[in-house]
Amino acid sequence: MSEDVIVDCDLAEPPEKVWRALTVPDLLAAWLMPNDFEPKVGHDFTFRPERGPDIACEVLDIEEGSLIRYSWREGDDDRIDSVVTVSLTPLQGGGTHLRLVHTGFPLRASRATLALMRAGRSLVTSMAMNGGLRWAA
Amino acid sequence: MTDTDVFRALADPTRRAVLERLMAAEMNVSELTANFAVSQPAISQHLAVLRQAGLVTERREGRRAFYRADTAGLQPLVDWVDRYRRFWPDRIDRLKTLLKEMDQ
Repeated sequence: MSEDVIVDCDLAEPPEKVWRALTVPDLLAAWLMPNDFEPKVGHDFTFRPERGPDIACEVLDIEEGSLIRYSWREGDDDRIDSVVTVSLTPLQGGGTHLRLVHTGFPLRASRATLALMRAGRSLVTSMAMNGGLRWAA
Repeated sequence: MTDTDVFRALADPTRRAVLERLMAAEMNVSELTANFAVSQPAISQHLAVLRQAGLVTERREGRRAFYRADTAGLQPLVDWVDRYRRFWPDRIDRLKTLLKEMDQ
């Protein structure tokens, strides 16, 4: 099991409208960050947070109206790339299920291992219990 | 030691593998090198980066040095993941608000 961040939610609005909020730069800026996004695979763009370093991104995948995926690199070039994927599924009644997955964190420890770390216990102990850390390839 | 040092140290797959070995057991450089298809100087270099990042500690016994992982050094990574665990739900809430305000 990896340490991905996953957010699931049901929205009342239809997928077409949610898609605009994900892909029109001004709308994207209103809920995420100012950006120079373009919905083209291979497009390099930047999110500019109010505080902290810019986030360098590249559009990796687009399925019109249903999926967008971009790389997400915070700070300088030495940081590890992570990947954000947002997918939209129509719901009965006209709404949209949105799933956001932020993956590719360098640490692929199991949730149990990280939970032990958070509790301040040695990873070495948890290694024996979990059979080892799994790193991203 | 900065958070960036930790991320940089973990960006290299061999270094991640070295760290993993040292989580399982304390080793000296030659024991470690036996596990990898790279030279002993290369392993020493990786150890230096891991120590600089606070991920590995050294224990000296006479002229010999032994290394083990210091998992407390991974905390910046845990913090990073936790930050995004808070960040994204907050932003999705903003998205919900925006959708209510948008024209069809």
